[in-house]
Parts: sequence; C-alpha cells; structure tokens
Amino acid sequence: MENFLKTLVTAALGIGLGLFSTWLAVERGYGFGAVTAGPWMAWPKSGSNEADPYAKAVVARSAEIPLGLAEGLMFIARQDDTGAFLDPKCDYRISGPLPPARTWTLTLMTPRGALIENRLGRYGVTASEIVRERRDAIDIVVSRYASPGAWLPLGEAVPFVLTLRLYDTIVRASATAIDARSMPSIKRGTCE
Amino acid sequence: MKWWDRIIGWLPWFAGAFIIAGIVHICAILSMPRLAPLDSYTRMETMTLAGRIVPLPPLTPGKEFAPFEDPAMVASVCRYDLDRGPLRVRGNFAADNLVLLSFHSRYGDVFYSMTDRSATRGVLDILLVTPAQLTAIEAYDSEDELPSELRLTTPQTTGFVILRSLAAQPGGRDAARARLQSITCAVDQSTPG
Repeated sequence: MENFLKTLVTAALGIGLGLFSTWLAVERGYGFGAVTAGPWMAWPKSGSNEADPYAKAVVARSAEIPLGLAEGLMFIARQDDTGAFLDPKCDYRISGPLPPARTWTLTLMTPRGALIENRLGRYGVTASEIVRERRDAIDIVVSRYASPGAWLPLGEAVPFVLTLRLYDTIVRASATAIDARSMPSIKRGTCE
Repeated sequence: MKWWDRIIGWLPWFAGAFIIAGIVHICAILSMPRLAPLDSYTRMETMTLAGRIVPLPPLTPGKEFAPFEDPAMVASVCRYDLDRGPLRVRGNFAADNLVLLSFHSRYGDVFYSMTDRSATRGVLDILLVTPAQLTAIEAYDSEDELPSELRLTTPQTTGFVILRSLAAQPGGRDAARARLQSITCAVDQSTPG
C-alpha cells in the first residue's frame, strides 16, 4: 500500500515537473541557436528547416510566422545596453551602425509581438523614412513625447520590446554571435 | 528510523520522478507543433480558401493576424492542399521593390524562402509538388531542356505561402498591395499526375 502511494506521488510529481518545465521552455524564448549582439537577439534557425524542437514548439504555440532565412532576420531587444529591461516610462535612443542589408525596419511591440496603440498610428520606422547622416548608421529616439529627428512614439505605457528587421541581409545565420559594435546601441534617456 | 533514513528511502522515488519529468518534457515539446490548437496554419485556415491568394488584413493593435509581424509590410497568403494537385505560384517583379516569399508547411517548417531579387530575370515561377507528383512530372520532361519552373517538394501536403511586400513610406501601401496582386497562385491543371 505504501509503495502504491509512493508510485502515485512519484508519477504526479514527474508529470507536473515535466509540464512545468515545458511551459517554462516555450514561454522563455525560442530554444537554442540564438544569435546575440549586445542587447539584440535573433533566432535565424526558426526560419529554416533546421529549427530545433524548442523553436518549433514556440512558433506553433504563438502562431508566429517567422521570416525565412533568405527573407531576412528579426532581432529583438528586451533590454538596453546596461542590461536593464526597457521601461515605458523612459526615453531611449537607438543609434549606431547597422549590419549590411537591403533595407530595414525598426518597430515597437509588446513582449508578445502585438502593436502598441498610439495617437499617430505610427508603429515603426523604415529605412527610407528617415534621413540618415551616414548610409549605414541610424539615430532614432523612442519617447512618449515628440522629438526632433527620427522619432518613434511610445504610445501607451505598456511594457515593450524593440524589433529590428534586416531584410535581404548577408548576416551569417551560422554565426552564434555578431559583433555588438556592428549593431545599434540602446541608451536610456530621461525617465519620469 | 532516523529522519535521514526516511529521506534516503525516498531518493529512488525522487529519481524516478525526475526521469518521468524528463520523458514528459521531451514528449510535450516534440508533440507541440501537432497539438497546438491555434497555430498559424489553423489561423490561416479560418481566414482563407485553399488554392488562391488572399490579402491579409492590415495590422492594427489588437487585430494582428500573427504576432511579430512587420507593420510596414503588406501581406497576402496562399494556402495549399497538394491532394488537389500541384500548386503554381507565378508573377513578375518589375522594379527593385522588396517582395518576400516564404513557404511554410502544415507543422511549421519554413522549407523555402526567397526575395524578388532571387527570381531569374524578374520572373517568378514556382511549382509546389509532393514527391509522387514530382516523379510523375519528371517522367514527361523533355530530355534536352531544363524545366523553366522551380519545383519544390513539400514536407507535408498542406501548408501556406506568405507573400510580403514592403511599403517603404506610409503612402506606399497601395502600390505595395498592387505588387502582390500581380502574383498568382493556383492549382496547376496542366501538369500530369
């Protein structure tokens, strides 16, 4: 009788732990094969036949349609350069060089990938919308208040992430790290 | 019985629990693509008919057709079911405007992707086939010339093709939409098998 109870407890604990660890794994990212560059992260393999089982599980659950390898690469930043999570009460400046790509877009999204409501209906910037000092560098301000130059409105005060999409890029998907100096930096400005 | 004896007595059971947890974890992860109730294919299924190109609604907060989609893109989808015959995707790319195509299978594999620049002389001609259909088509191929189309075999008989066209300026959405409308996607009747 005691062994029977122990078997039940063991089985329940095992199943519980197994499901909990599965939930953790699919909630926290896209599995292995992340490419990092400073605060930016990308999962190029999600867009190929070589996606690992974790990446496939995450994509199946979120119903995301990842960019194919030949289409481009999406980078996500959840933190700024210092490692602090992006705070909707603060201004941020995204500046610096970009890896070579045919074109790019920078978009604000919720951590789950939804757009963030704002009065202007402006959710992102594309390469051709902004005047660049140099062809291969950007300087964009993310703020709740209008700012001169390239400005991305923060809209409602909800947690956000930055997504940078490089289209038709030659950034090597096989790399596990890209030199952080080849990607724009994310610096926090003033906070409320 | 001292208390540590009790703990030692439980140790094999804990080890067993961890082994079960590992097996449950691996099974759950591997079966997720097939069990997820609302994956992208299922969403596309509710919005579209198979074998034709359907524009996807513009992205607005709360009404995105998928998460992490670029709001600067205008998108269309063509869902396919190769049991009805091979699928032909055809079009022309005139100027140097960014158009992306990616081919997704039922359970989430991106088995092919391309941009307008990778089309030969601006002409897009892709035939999606099952391995059996490919064998049947190749039996009719002329031995002297190479087929003009690009033939792709799919991992599963169903899936979808996503077409995205960049509106580089907010005013360019209609032009971006028009670029997608020039691309056709239909069950191919001319091929044998």
